[in-house]
Amino acid sequence: MFGKAASCGLLWDFAVSETVAESQRWILTAMRKHGQGLVTMLWRILGNEQDVCDVYQDTFLQLAHHEGGRKPKYVKAYIFRTANNIAISMLRRRIIERRGLAAPVACRKGTGSPAAELDAKYLQEALRDCIAQLPGHLRDVVMLRDLGELSYPQISGILGISAGTARVYRCKAIQLLATWMNKEE
Amino acid sequence: MKMARVNECRRIRTLLYTVASKRFGPDAGWFQKHIAGCPRCWRRLVASRKVDLAFSLVKTQPHKLDLLARANARAIAVLKHSLRGEPEVSDLKTKLPEPKLLEMFHGCGRSVANVAACVAILLLMKIGVLSSINQFHSTGRKSMKQYYAKRIGEDLAGEIFAQDAGQPSSADSDEVFGA
Repeated sequence: MFGKAASCGLLWDFAVSETVAESQRWILTAMRKHGQGLVTMLWRILGNEQDVCDVYQDTFLQLAHHEGGRKPKYVKAYIFRTANNIAISMLRRRIIERRGLAAPVACRKGTGSPAAELDAKYLQEALRDCIAQLPGHLRDVVMLRDLGELSYPQISGILGISAGTARVYRCKAIQLLATWMNKEE
Repeated sequence: MKMARVNECRRIRTLLYTVASKRFGPDAGWFQKHIAGCPRCWRRLVASRKVDLAFSLVKTQPHKLDLLARANARAIAVLKHSLRGEPEVSDLKTKLPEPKLLEMFHGCGRSVANVAACVAILLLMKIGVLSSINQFHSTGRKSMKQYYAKRIGEDLAGEIFAQDAGQPSSADSDEVFGA
């Protein structure tokens, strides 16, 4: 009797796992389809491989648990927006940590010289800091357009705005970035 | 119908953008002159170029080749057991970044364009020029005959052009071009 129940249980478990695998196979498809673009964008936002892996993992974890494992209507939009949000939180945390740990004087020491101005690392970090400070609607467009290299129609689909609005937002974001990056000197 | 209109719209928009950027873009002469004399605009241009440079630097920074595979492996490790056993998983765990189709053919774009231009010229020569060269020839003969008829008289012109018609012309297109 007990043996029968156990075998029934095993069969039930197997059937459930089969259904789950069948129902959530779209996650793997999404990973194959959008993984490369996502990794490229995250690498450009964060510039650190460990952080990229963390954000990538969190994104797909959130995707797998979205409304009890249900597939979102627009998977690409969901993935990119989630990854953007997680990445920006991580970037902000990193900036705060850096500001707290490193002496601000040491940080500013070389920024005035032309050599420092052309320093690739300094410029990249300054850009990342400024992007993290941008208002959300502008930041999303800049990240998807300039770091994710998506087209305006794709961005409009992901963010739910028109392509023209995305262009305007990007223009405003670049103006703000230019002002802030010059102020930092 | 709708698609054609959309395409036309896009074409016009692209054209307008090209023209506008030529006239009003940063490469326009008047703009360069103004920048040279206006320190405020010069500062603004420098600032925007600095942002462009920073973006270029961020984009050109390479990551390790196996980053995608590692990220996939990390993400798969937190998915359900049943998903981890899928045959697709092993591919994802070893997946390497692939260049886009456009990027792959970016290097030979110029040579492809040159070949396309040559083919287009050949086609034009074959279809357009060669098929209408006979027509040009006969029209030319007619006008020449009219000219001579006016100058030296109808009879003599008729005689000359009757003789010419008997002899094969050196300007015969088929012989010249071997078509």
